[in-house]
Amino acid sequence: MPEKDKKVTPPAPSEPIRGVKASVETDSMIERRNTEPATPPVRERRKYKVSETPPPPAPPPKLNDYASIIGQPEIDEIRYIARLLRGKTVKMVNSTAVGGGVAEILNRLIPLMQELEVQTKWEVITGGNDFFEVTKGFHNALHGGDYHPTKEIFDIFLMYNEQNRQRMEFVEDIFVIHDPQPAALIRSKERNRGKWIWRCHIDLSNPHREVWNFLKPFIEQYDATIFSSPAFTRQLSVPQYLFYPSIDPLSEKNKDLDESYVQKVCDDFGIDRSRPVITQISRFDRLKDPVGVIQAYKLAKKYVDCQLVLAGGGASDDPEGAVVLAEVMNEAGDDPDVIILNLPPWSALEINALQRASTIVIQKSLKEGFGLTVTEALWKRKTVIAGAVGGIPTQVIHKLTGVLVHSVEGCAYQIRYLLTHPDFAAQLGRHGHEHSKENFLLTSNVKRWLILYQQMLGLNKPVKVT
Amino acid sequence: MARNLMLRWAKAPFYFNSAAHLTRIGNQRATTLGEFAQAREKVPEDAIFQHTFQTLQEHHYIREGFSNDFAHWTFASCNEIELAERLSSVDVREYTSIKSLRDRVFGIVSEYLNRNERARERAAFEPFYFCASDTIVIPTPWVARNLAEFTDALRKVSIHSIHYHFINARLRLKLNTNDFSLWLENDLELGALADRINRIDIYTSTLNDVRNQILKIVENAA
Repeated sequence: MPEKDKKVTPPAPSEPIRGVKASVETDSMIERRNTEPATPPVRERRKYKVSETPPPPAPPPKLNDYASIIGQPEIDEIRYIARLLRGKTVKMVNSTAVGGGVAEILNRLIPLMQELEVQTKWEVITGGNDFFEVTKGFHNALHGGDYHPTKEIFDIFLMYNEQNRQRMEFVEDIFVIHDPQPAALIRSKERNRGKWIWRCHIDLSNPHREVWNFLKPFIEQYDATIFSSPAFTRQLSVPQYLFYPSIDPLSEKNKDLDESYVQKVCDDFGIDRSRPVITQISRFDRLKDPVGVIQAYKLAKKYVDCQLVLAGGGASDDPEGAVVLAEVMNEAGDDPDVIILNLPPWSALEINALQRASTIVIQKSLKEGFGLTVTEALWKRKTVIAGAVGGIPTQVIHKLTGVLVHSVEGCAYQIRYLLTHPDFAAQLGRHGHEHSKENFLLTSNVKRWLILYQQMLGLNKPVKVT
Repeated sequence: MARNLMLRWAKAPFYFNSAAHLTRIGNQRATTLGEFAQAREKVPEDAIFQHTFQTLQEHHYIREGFSNDFAHWTFASCNEIELAERLSSVDVREYTSIKSLRDRVFGIVSEYLNRNERARERAAFEPFYFCASDTIVIPTPWVARNLAEFTDALRKVSIHSIHYHFINARLRLKLNTNDFSLWLENDLELGALADRINRIDIYTSTLNDVRNQILKIVENAA
């Protein structure tokens, strides 16, 4: 029977260990596994235990902490730009205080803004389950998914926006509204003197027409909009600015690590660092094509020795994730060099170590947002092979900061080529690091925000360069 | 003698500035080379600036294979290698106005499409999104009244400052030179030094390389 036609039959926990697979499990996961059917069906070689709950967050860094990374002149320039904004007030509004990329960004951005004396307040909209079901539906629809909006759905959206609008005060100089959920707060614009900015973190290139037509009149009342990529925008009558998503080089996911810690993580997971390590860090999601990554690895392995690490989450709390993980396990078969790790969400240090231990980082997505795992790998000077989708081509400039691929075969060829041309691979890694440093760090975005605030408040006028 | 040159007072000091940019996404995009060519008259000047002068700063660390966004798009998304090579050869240092740079870029594309009619309607793998740059000037605390202060400051400023004075200056000055060379020639009467600095190749050097080469030229002269 051809390999691809085999039925996916996840092994029971008691089944003998066949390959070299490791999993990370919390105490509760282990307990659940002993009393419930095995989901996800990860065969484990060793139990690498991490904390049951997320560790307390580290205090946010100060601006000067970044001087060793971007240079003191850059810090001075940021402080200079912020000088004109001292005492100005900003309100940021989004839909969740914890979890999700936006909350992660705001948690790092706001302390830096406060340090620069730009008084920034963060508020979160509230709503019932019906509201968040609607906004989840909107989110998927705006990404091009199938959706059947009704008048009732639109009414729920407007009702909760109105409730939040009545609850909140709008007295600041600038309001930054993140994503579609609170977009209708713009109705307060007439009542205040502030400037309104809509920060869209999602890809609007192919939105559900009805949902977009409903939202567009709200969006076009803003004074400015911000998108993560030119490819994610719509034709709008208001200015659109480009702010790349960013990573914090001092966060647990990206900070420098002691070599001994990297080695320990590899030892715990059974990774042999004397041989090339290829890694994809992603949720177990078909759009990340983990099965395609294994197929590419198998093709490449006919010619070059390497190990494959697939590390991610989503298989424990997402039924579809568990199915995808089972497919991945099936595709990996008994190969002891395929290491599959189902990590809990608070594994930032482990992911950091895995990325740093990698010879090549793959992100073979079939569909992608901006792809911050690519940014993380570039920052760590890793050679990146990535699918040419979403925001990835902005980061991976083919053959300059990494390589772009469109197929399993292309991915396999690039693995072979880069493992046998280490000088070229290292050059891609160096360029990738510089690319991320120049464009995708938190500090670059602090600067962008400050310039935009100045423009919105009429505190600067762009020079005519022509 | 050398010490005298380093400490010779300039007629006027050199004030180091820097620049910061915000990228605006335009509503124009091209999905084929034909659409790109049609954008010739519609694309604003600050978009031409963004995709030529400004992109050099954003990719300042690449010494090989990156010249401007137009060349990169025709190579990576249109697979028109000859056109990409010709667009890559456009050297922004030869242009002191965006108008002449626009004419050159679109002239190359038009000429290519006249010879390769089928390339006109072929869909690009990715559209070209015209963006534009809003630039603000940022003063720095560094001022040079002689070569010693000049080299000291040059070591300390950001690469954005070097891009502002060494590359973008041409559009501001409307001259085929840069702020550093102009100061050396006019205020220190060091024309030969100014010429040597103006000949530094920005396409085969990173901005940090440019910084180091200027320092080396000045220190060797002294």
